[in-house]
Amino acid sequence: MTTTMTFGQAVFGPRETALGNSGALVHDSRGFTANPSGMTGIRDWDFNSGTYISTAVPAQSFVFAGIGVGKHFLENHYLALQYSPGTSIDIIQPATVTVIGVNLPADRKFSYAEPFAAAYAYRLSDAFSIGLQGRVVTESVNDPQYQFEIKDTTIVPVSKEFRATTWFGDLSATWIPSPGVILSALVRGLLQAHGSELPVDFSTYRLPRDRRLELGASMSIMPSLTIAGGLSTSGTGSAGVEWSPGWNLSFRAGIYGDRDEKPFFYAYAAGIGLTYAFVELDAAYQFFADQAERRGTIFSGAFSPSSLRDIGLNRYTPDRASISVKAILGNIRESLARIEGIEMLGGVYPSAYEALAYRPIGKVRVRNIARKPIQARVTFFVDRFMDQPTESTPVYIEPGTAAEIPLTAVFNEQVKSIDRVTIREGTVSVSATVAEEYDDRAQTRVLIHGKNDWDGNVHNLRYFVTPDEPSVLRTSREILLQNKDSLGAVPKDLTAFRNAQVLFNTFARNLMYVSDPKQSADYVQYPTETLKLRGGDCDDMSVCFASLLSSVGISTAFVDVVPPNRPENSHIYLLFDTGVNPKFGSNIAANPKRYVIRKSKAGEDTIWLPIETTVTTRGFEAAWSEGAQEYFDDVEIGLGLVKGWVTIVDVN
Amino acid sequence: MKAGMIVLLGALTARAFAGDIVLQKTNGDVSIRHGVEEAWSAAAAGDVLKSDDTIKTGRKATAVLVATLERGGKAGRKSISLPPEVIVDLSDIRDLTQEELMLKLTMEKVRASSYQWKSNEMHMSPTTAVHGDDRSPGETLREVDPATGTMLFNGVRVLFNNGFYATCALKGIQVLRRYPVLDDQFAYRMLVAESLERADLRGEAISEYGAIADLAGLTAEQQETVRTKIEMLRKP
Repeated sequence: MTTTMTFGQAVFGPRETALGNSGALVHDSRGFTANPSGMTGIRDWDFNSGTYISTAVPAQSFVFAGIGVGKHFLENHYLALQYSPGTSIDIIQPATVTVIGVNLPADRKFSYAEPFAAAYAYRLSDAFSIGLQGRVVTESVNDPQYQFEIKDTTIVPVSKEFRATTWFGDLSATWIPSPGVILSALVRGLLQAHGSELPVDFSTYRLPRDRRLELGASMSIMPSLTIAGGLSTSGTGSAGVEWSPGWNLSFRAGIYGDRDEKPFFYAYAAGIGLTYAFVELDAAYQFFADQAERRGTIFSGAFSPSSLRDIGLNRYTPDRASISVKAILGNIRESLARIEGIEMLGGVYPSAYEALAYRPIGKVRVRNIARKPIQARVTFFVDRFMDQPTESTPVYIEPGTAAEIPLTAVFNEQVKSIDRVTIREGTVSVSATVAEEYDDRAQTRVLIHGKNDWDGNVHNLRYFVTPDEPSVLRTSREILLQNKDSLGAVPKDLTAFRNAQVLFNTFARNLMYVSDPKQSADYVQYPTETLKLRGGDCDDMSVCFASLLSSVGISTAFVDVVPPNRPENSHIYLLFDTGVNPKFGSNIAANPKRYVIRKSKAGEDTIWLPIETTVTTRGFEAAWSEGAQEYFDDVEIGLGLVKGWVTIVDVN
Repeated sequence: MKAGMIVLLGALTARAFAGDIVLQKTNGDVSIRHGVEEAWSAAAAGDVLKSDDTIKTGRKATAVLVATLERGGKAGRKSISLPPEVIVDLSDIRDLTQEELMLKLTMEKVRASSYQWKSNEMHMSPTTAVHGDDRSPGETLREVDPATGTMLFNGVRVLFNNGFYATCALKGIQVLRRYPVLDDQFAYRMLVAESLERADLRGEAISEYGAIADLAGLTAEQQETVRTKIEMLRKP
């Protein structure tokens, strides 16, 4: 006598089946019963459904395995439900009873099913999540009996149905110790609640209810290759590999082991996955080494309910092919990039805020968390001081790798209204491929200096030069207008030289050198302030005179002297371009030590004059002589320019 | 701040100028120009000169300088004879290290090229654009006097004759740049090249000889001289 079975093994989807069903590979609502804490990969809404066909006799057509739905909500919470009518196994024990010489069928039917499961997961951090799930397992017995009715001498079949329901609670955790490595643990059957039990007569047909620990691990050994494995305290184990060569395709293979099976590696699986837009199709075929008890009929005495540890996969499970489809709905955009760190490279000096549009204010380390290369760009925004976020140029990042993307910032004029050091919140966002959405967002502190603060870098002193300020333009125009007659008699080639001379002499009469009011940081006055206050230190004077000269079209440069090992004796003076060809140098000065031959903005050698702007009260000639002497000492004798402690920076 | 800086500069230049330069003997019209002053003043034997002074000898004048120099770690006195019609910047009476000379030469090359500072920043045009340049005829400027350039080059030769090859090469290049009219004069260019050669800058010397070979109007003898120099320098 044989026992006939009908099977359903739909707890695992084809993806999980093909990969050995390691809990570490669960990342959405598919197969979440292997590890509910792995569901943190659900983007918004997940729907999946599957079907299968087995090779058991009698042959079956495709069977509806079930449907699952998952939802990501409140940032770190995940919920999934599964209805799996296909997760069942029916065992029919043939029997007959003879009543008054008549053989009547009395087949007993035992049914086991796991039709419902629900799970919840919570992401504690990017690396750690926990999950809890409940499963409903039913056991039922149909025991036909016959009743002899005396009244009309008939035999009436009476079916006796017994049904038991058990709720199991499982707890799991997932840990990602480093990118690409996932570890999982599940305690199955931790909580058990029994709604009803089978009668004592059928107690031997109860399913085993032992608790067990299932461990899983997976590792991406390269962006396109992932390996996984699992072990359980009930003596089972598995391993799988997934290769994703591109074109949205994945190929999978898995192997299963069980100490109670012969051979130990008793099952193999292979599968394929295809992703297109928000839909994923998976197919798998699982086959078993020993087919003896897997063809749908066994001897009655061979049936052992205790071997049904898993309704989905047990010693009676036949070879099967399964197919499933998963659809991601709602906010279906997948995160491609993640911010790993932000480093600000210094504060914001309002005077040089325009330079920050081109020179990085900080850098962001962005990792590609997608499976394909991305173009990532970051944006930076400081409320009130920026009109809109400033976006970086796109940076190409390979899968699994990280790149540092510089942050630039286009501030608005408001930043120049800051009088002293202030700390503001800055928002850094990263987006990849499509720049309309943020993949990650973080806050960082931004130090914004006062508008007069200068970082000591002579290149940035240029930004204090404001020749287009109305007060500067007015001053230079008025001075030149007052001297129109005398300037009109000057040879054309000496116009710049004479204009500078006149500007300086008038400028000098109205201003006075005072030392820097702040010791801790360089404080530079804007030309408007210097003209208004009628005084300043060497930086202020150089900036103001450079602005006046620039406002009438004369090129200037700063000479920054930082004596070696004595930076506290740093000093700045000015060079301006007379526009005179060196062959006419004797018209400027008989002593060539009084001038410098440099390239003009047009790229031609011209005569530039060094001006020491701090000796304002002594007039142009003295400032020139002093500047020339300093330049000769610093550059020709001291070799400061070639040794690097003298820097000349063109202002405009 | 400035006072401290000047004291420091004194210390920085001490290595090059270990001591004063004394005008030991004069014959004829010898004058001195101090620092960045414009005017020349008469010099007399016994005058103590500074490193930023310039000395000039007249048409039939000569002078002898005695400089205290630090060479090979030891301070020593060196007598320098000035022939007639020379101008010498006393700051050139010093030795430069080969590194310093290379840096200076590199800077001269950069200066001579059409190098302009560039960055990623947006180019901002000058605030005041000069449209409609003044076309009215103005006073014509006088060009530098070639005679002064010749006197300066005579001074360069003095540096060469006294073994100051580094400053000789640098000053020669500067004078040729300031007095372009001298630029094609074979003897001056050769002096620069030979000083580079003596300063052990073989590559720079070959380059300079190469440039001389490209000058127009060289005689066959001059061409042969340059070719011989280049071949000799190219030998390992």
